[in-house]
Amino acid sequence: MARPTTVPRSDVLLTVMGAPYENDLLTSVLRLSQAMLEGGATVQIWACGYATMLTQRGLGDSKPRNLAAWEVDHPSTSLLVREMLLAFPDRLRWYACRFCSDDRGAVDHIPEVPVRAPARFAEHVAAADKTLYLGVM
Amino acid sequence: MTVAEEGRRALAIVERAYRGAVETQFSDGLYCAYLFHRHLGGLDVLLRGPAVGYAVRAARTPVPRLGKRELTTVNTPGDGLNVLLEAGVGVWIEEQDLRAYGPDAESGLLPGVRTVPAGAMAARWPGYRAVFYL
Repeated sequence: MARPTTVPRSDVLLTVMGAPYENDLLTSVLRLSQAMLEGGATVQIWACGYATMLTQRGLGDSKPRNLAAWEVDHPSTSLLVREMLLAFPDRLRWYACRFCSDDRGAVDHIPEVPVRAPARFAEHVAAADKTLYLGVM
Repeated sequence: MTVAEEGRRALAIVERAYRGAVETQFSDGLYCAYLFHRHLGGLDVLLRGPAVGYAVRAARTPVPRLGKRELTTVNTPGDGLNVLLEAGVGVWIEEQDLRAYGPDAESGLLPGVRTVPAGAMAARWPGYRAVFYL
């Protein structure tokens, strides 16, 4: 018998397998999430692989300065994820895979992002009506 | 660097059209070219393959909304090329790949970008102090 889960139910689970900084996968993940959330859905995101780098506290709130546009602020991915979580309380959740985080030294996530052991991934799948896998490792 | 190499430009070949719009924003390959131009004492950029699209005017895409924020700082390669051109970087584009990009590609080419026959840039390599992919 399956053990009880503490993972909140969601309409959709997005499992981000592909790496950022390689193509526009992350842009698609965030825009897709935003569209579903604006439509009233509940969404959880499980960040695997190098997607675990996106929510590191060490990124701060801003990217490094642009020498060609010194006064323009460029938000970090950590800040963008935190802002999305704040904009959709209780309807968006972002989790980071512990193995992938440890494997990359990405061990200091922002406090809004819980770290989950890969053994619990099945619970997250079970808590979602639909699961989408995005990208490959 | 030898004395003979001083004052000579480097050539960066950009082939891979790549954005990573949200996470990369300004810090893409073209920004790296801007830094190399400043720090290596001069740079030319050759756009080939899918990267020719960087130099072709395109319709503005909608600004992504993330949470309550309109993210206006996603990267736009055309703007990145304009920064390079204003800084004195020579921007070249291979004609064959430009034609392959689309029938309107040549008429939509950004001002200041110069075209070159496919493979012709290789004949100029000896004039550069370094040639590398970016």
